Amino acid sequence: MFDVILQAGASVLLDPVTLGLMGIGTLAGLLAGAIPGFTIAMGVILTLPFTFGMSPIQGLATMMGVFVGGFSGGLMSCMLTGIPGTPSSVATTFDGFPMVRSGKPGFALGLGLWSSFFGGMISAVILVALAPQLAFLGLEFGPWDYFSLIVFALTITVSLSGDNMIKGLIAGLLGLFAACVGEDEINGVARFAFGSDHIRQGFAFLPVLIGLFAFSQLLSDVEDSAKAKAPLMKNSAEAIRVEHRKAIATVLMNWINLIRSSFIGIFTGILPAAGGSISNILAYDQAKKASNNRNEFGKGAVNGIIAPEAANNATAGGALIMMMALGIPGDIVTAIMIGALMIHNIIPGPSFIQDEPLLAYGVFIAFFAAHFFMVGLQAFALRLFLLVTRIPMYILASVILAYCAIGVFALHNITFDIWVMFGFGVIGYFMRKLGFPLAPMILGVVLGKLAELNIARAIGISDDYSLFVTRPWSLFFLIMAIVSVLFPFYQNAKKDTVFTKMYVPISMILLALPLFLMGSPVRMVVGGILLSAGCYFIYKRSSILKTI
Amino acid sequence: MTNNKSDIIIAIFLLCFSGVMINDASNIRDLGFEGMKADAWPRVVLWLLVVMSSVMLGKSYLKFKTVSDRDNKNFSINLAKFKNALICFGMFMLFLSTLDYLGMLIGGILFVFGLLTLLGGFSHKLIVKHLLVSILSIGFMWMVFTFGLRVILPEGEILRVW
Repeated sequence: MFDVILQAGASVLLDPVTLGLMGIGTLAGLLAGAIPGFTIAMGVILTLPFTFGMSPIQGLATMMGVFVGGFSGGLMSCMLTGIPGTPSSVATTFDGFPMVRSGKPGFALGLGLWSSFFGGMISAVILVALAPQLAFLGLEFGPWDYFSLIVFALTITVSLSGDNMIKGLIAGLLGLFAACVGEDEINGVARFAFGSDHIRQGFAFLPVLIGLFAFSQLLSDVEDSAKAKAPLMKNSAEAIRVEHRKAIATVLMNWINLIRSSFIGIFTGILPAAGGSISNILAYDQAKKASNNRNEFGKGAVNGIIAPEAANNATAGGALIMMMALGIPGDIVTAIMIGALMIHNIIPGPSFIQDEPLLAYGVFIAFFAAHFFMVGLQAFALRLFLLVTRIPMYILASVILAYCAIGVFALHNITFDIWVMFGFGVIGYFMRKLGFPLAPMILGVVLGKLAELNIARAIGISDDYSLFVTRPWSLFFLIMAIVSVLFPFYQNAKKDTVFTKMYVPISMILLALPLFLMGSPVRMVVGGILLSAGCYFIYKRSSILKTI
Repeated sequence: MTNNKSDIIIAIFLLCFSGVMINDASNIRDLGFEGMKADAWPRVVLWLLVVMSSVMLGKSYLKFKTVSDRDNKNFSINLAKFKNALICFGMFMLFLSTLDYLGMLIGGILFVFGLLTLLGGFSHKLIVKHLLVSILSIGFMWMVFTFGLRVILPEGEILRVW
């Protein structure tokens, strides 16, 4: 094992080409994260075509740089101009911008930078520790369990669609349907090809994803003519000297907030499709609740910067855990990374870390190293960012639309892929306008084939459908799926109803059941804890309900 | 852009779409092997889509009946709002349709220049700026892909003859 880690470390850290590519990737990510209207996913999408000609480790290391850089880039624009560069830095604006306005821009940037760094480092340690263990668990999965896991992943995406749950479900189903088009994986029979040889091959995963996400986003960005013609930022900002020492000391002094926020980020990242946009607000909220000086929040509180920045970088590690261990994307960016791996004929899944240890540990090391690049390149990125923000959006969007076309063509060297990107771009644009969330559709496209393959395998092995509820892992994921579907109702329900009082304890008791069925002592202990806690809460809350 | 009326229209569209696809699913060949048939999974997905679209239709219709007439009449498709998006669609279609003749280099430059000019304006200064941006950006990327990454981008009839 140690040999593998050393070899992987050498392939990333001792190869100047890989290091250089990672540096470029981190810089690109910092810029993509900083520019309002751009997202980290868009940065990764634009980097993707350049990775086709690279070795898998070089390609993944480059994208890892974009990923890590993107999460940190958002803090530059939100602190200096009050406009969040990405949704994952929204909460940083609440206190970062006031701190800058109060005359401490170097300290504010330093706090954001080092919170991102430490948050990322904590998540990297958890990633290295947890992903192989989770992958070992994944090896226990049969097709029934895997199918139920995919159902859970899709339901949780849908439940995060907020008020648009039905639209989220429809979007997810449309994604699953898009994955059905073309030859099926089991029998090789053409489906919904309508006589076209191109459609018979199915829609390649990346053109669909780039169309749905990047193309539709660019069209939305240029919708308003006046805004599209104006420079990206009206608020002026200037390069600032970051106060590193003071910031490091302050972040480490607030270590409880740092660790809590990092764990919120990791947990949010592990949940499919719940990314940095959620974790930064959750962490900010928790930091505010835990603080003795709540009144300072919103006026430039130190903890109000540490919490969201640590959380959003930690989300990256969480998302990677699911991708590396189970092949399930934690967010849109990891979905694209799965596509990038597939280009190199590597299929992520529970056996990925065992089958490709060099690559897997290379990714871990690249994730670590990208954080150092992020710190080192922030000052340079800040100057570049100030240059880029003078460009109007319509120029950037027009050029990037053309780049998307070139990049998508390079995938398989066929023009049909560009048509697919265009078609799904139009669909994605109108779905955005009609209030359909895109994340469930993207996950549907990513997981559709996997879901079909696993259900076909399950039925092929045994025609006993009860296995979906009698196998412990499958039952566990199906219960989780039901819990996640009911979650929005729980959130919206009035406080003192039986449903809101009983939702959590009953979920705990139900989840204890499959853990008992698994038979292993540790899992039975966890099941016992869940069962006891669930029963205790029911007892407490039923007495409260009686008094009401 | 969304309101109950638009949701009703979308739900009906989705129901029609699902109907067409379910009908087409009957054309999927059965090879006679044991196990799950090729049309089984798409049918499950499509029937679930029918159910969800019906729920959306029902919910939107009920809301449509309960909210005031004025709120429902507020829905209108403002094409001017989508002008830029429609320009992008049109230009991209044109670019794709002419790709075999113009190739990625010339087609890409013309696409970016056309789009920049249509979105940004027509003054002399802007036209020069747009021309420079389009030639430099596409030229640079074409060189990176052709010489750096060894990707053979569509050459087009014009460059081939030349």
